[in-house]
Amino acid sequence: MKHDDYVLKLDNVTMRFGGLTAVNGLSFSIKPKEIVGLIGPNGAGKTTIFNCVTQFYDTYEGAISFKNDEGSVNLKDHKVTEVIDLGIARTFQNIELVPDLSVLDNIMIGAHNTFKTGVVQHIFRTPKAKAEEKAIREKAVEALKFMHIDHLKDQFAGGQPYGVQKKIEIARTLMSNPKLIILDEPAAGLNDNETDELEALIHRIRDEYGASILLIEHDMGFVMEICDRVCAINFGQFLAMDTPKKIQNHPDVQEAYLGKEE
Amino acid sequence: MTDKPKENKLLEYWNAFATLVKRHPHVQYLIFGLVLVLFGYLSSVGVLPSYYNSVFAYIIIFTIVALGLNLLLGFSGLISLASSSFIGVGALGTGVFLNLGLPFEIAALLAIVSAAIIGSLIGLLSSKISGIYLAISTLFIAEILRQIFTSLEMFGGERLDIGTVELLGFLELSRNSRAQRFYLFAIMAIVMAVMMMVTYNIIKSRSGRAFMGISRSENSAAAMGISPLKYRVMAFTIATIFAAVAGVLYALYYQNAPTRQWGLLQSLTIIAIVVVGGFKSIYGMFLGAFIIHGLSELFLKELLGDVSYIFSGILLIVVILFYPKGVAHIWVDIRKLYYKFKYRNKEKDVIKDET
Repeated sequence: MKHDDYVLKLDNVTMRFGGLTAVNGLSFSIKPKEIVGLIGPNGAGKTTIFNCVTQFYDTYEGAISFKNDEGSVNLKDHKVTEVIDLGIARTFQNIELVPDLSVLDNIMIGAHNTFKTGVVQHIFRTPKAKAEEKAIREKAVEALKFMHIDHLKDQFAGGQPYGVQKKIEIARTLMSNPKLIILDEPAAGLNDNETDELEALIHRIRDEYGASILLIEHDMGFVMEICDRVCAINFGQFLAMDTPKKIQNHPDVQEAYLGKEE
Repeated sequence: MTDKPKENKLLEYWNAFATLVKRHPHVQYLIFGLVLVLFGYLSSVGVLPSYYNSVFAYIIIFTIVALGLNLLLGFSGLISLASSSFIGVGALGTGVFLNLGLPFEIAALLAIVSAAIIGSLIGLLSSKISGIYLAISTLFIAEILRQIFTSLEMFGGERLDIGTVELLGFLELSRNSRAQRFYLFAIMAIVMAVMMMVTYNIIKSRSGRAFMGISRSENSAAAMGISPLKYRVMAFTIATIFAAVAGVLYALYYQNAPTRQWGLLQSLTIIAIVVVGGFKSIYGMFLGAFIIHGLSELFLKELLGDVSYIFSGILLIVVILFYPKGVAHIWVDIRKLYYKFKYRNKEKDVIKDET
């Protein structure tokens, strides 16, 4: 692996909300097929970074570049709705599903950008539109099987337990063939069994879908188990980025979490 | 015993038919349309009172508009208080273009296209404003359209007379002949069935899911590449096209178009139809139109005279109290009861077997 081989690279990214600097001169990069955890105390700016990467915030300074099969792109040149076409899919901290659609239909929304037919073709149910719908339905069932929730496919998403809803969101990201999957607190609110299962699933996503994964998580046990590397930040400032073991023993990180020893 | 195989065969046909209907909702809508046509036939030959025809024609018009509005209210989470105005655009537009000497089909198409253009402009507006502010802006657009209808000379002041309509260049239909009026009614019923199919196709497609995506969680929709602006414009355009189609049918059936009718009151009636019928329901729109418009016109007015509106108001409140999901939900409850009943009987049988 070459040294400058990356999927996502943040270069001196700063994001200000009025007088508040949420992210301050942050730089780090993610290698292909790497699982990177982003940790930091509450209010450290983790979700802000996610929103900058996915272009929900487009007023940040610095550069965020993303490398897919066609080469390197500056994400700032793309709108929020175009980011998924490049190969970045994400989940949300507060689950964002359509409660009154079936689980399967929710997954199919994730393939929205891969459709080639438009509304006129849908109205007339042209053979092409039908075939496409069918293919994507099958792909969605595959994604559900992958997450072990295919038995729930015809139920409403709104009535599912929290852990299942989290899985639906992750399954949805798989539909767009992403190069990079961004997970915002995937293990929050899960019990120990579910967390263990999620761990295995995330590894399988990396191996079978060939995607890099960037995740925010407060469950340190989970982060230490799953991540190849961990990036720690505090008050929007970069603290350290290293293997989980080394991060655990890093003095700056310990200080950020536990306070300074007197 | 001899006729048992025959019975079985009939049952077999029935089962095959039932699975066909179950699998293809389009067939259901077509059957629904044909039943309405039959209904129109019965009232045109005098088995049923002939004014039923005219009331049901209006129910069909309301159903089509409500189907369009449902795409906004039920699916995309947008509101429009201008749906009635777009029936007006459809009806008056058809009239004006017909009076210019254009054939009916072209006139109808032009009326629908002009409505769609205005609708897409409102859609653009909705990207900047939402909720109650959007409602108020559409109210103003409705008011502007109403002023245009009533004050421009080309719309004929009080009403625009259209007269006999020539379809496909040779089929002349006038509402003054009973038989021809039935044909007009049949055309409306079939168009309604087609609009139901169109609605079904839209909501069961990528576009329908996108409508629900932008209304239920705009952020995740954007992250999945669904442009809220594009789908808002699309929803408004489709809704106005539905309303304009209803307007064209109005012009076709009643063969004149009043100018003062297309105001807020009727728009609110259509919203009530969507609420009573049930958000996101297709048959519910017909049910809602029947309850809001049909019941009072057909029965209550005869029984109670002018105070019938009080009762339709009370009916509305009762429905909202007991069926907040819409009347279409009654079907679900009936099915639940049926299964409960079936299950209970089976349980009894099991107990009997054991004893």
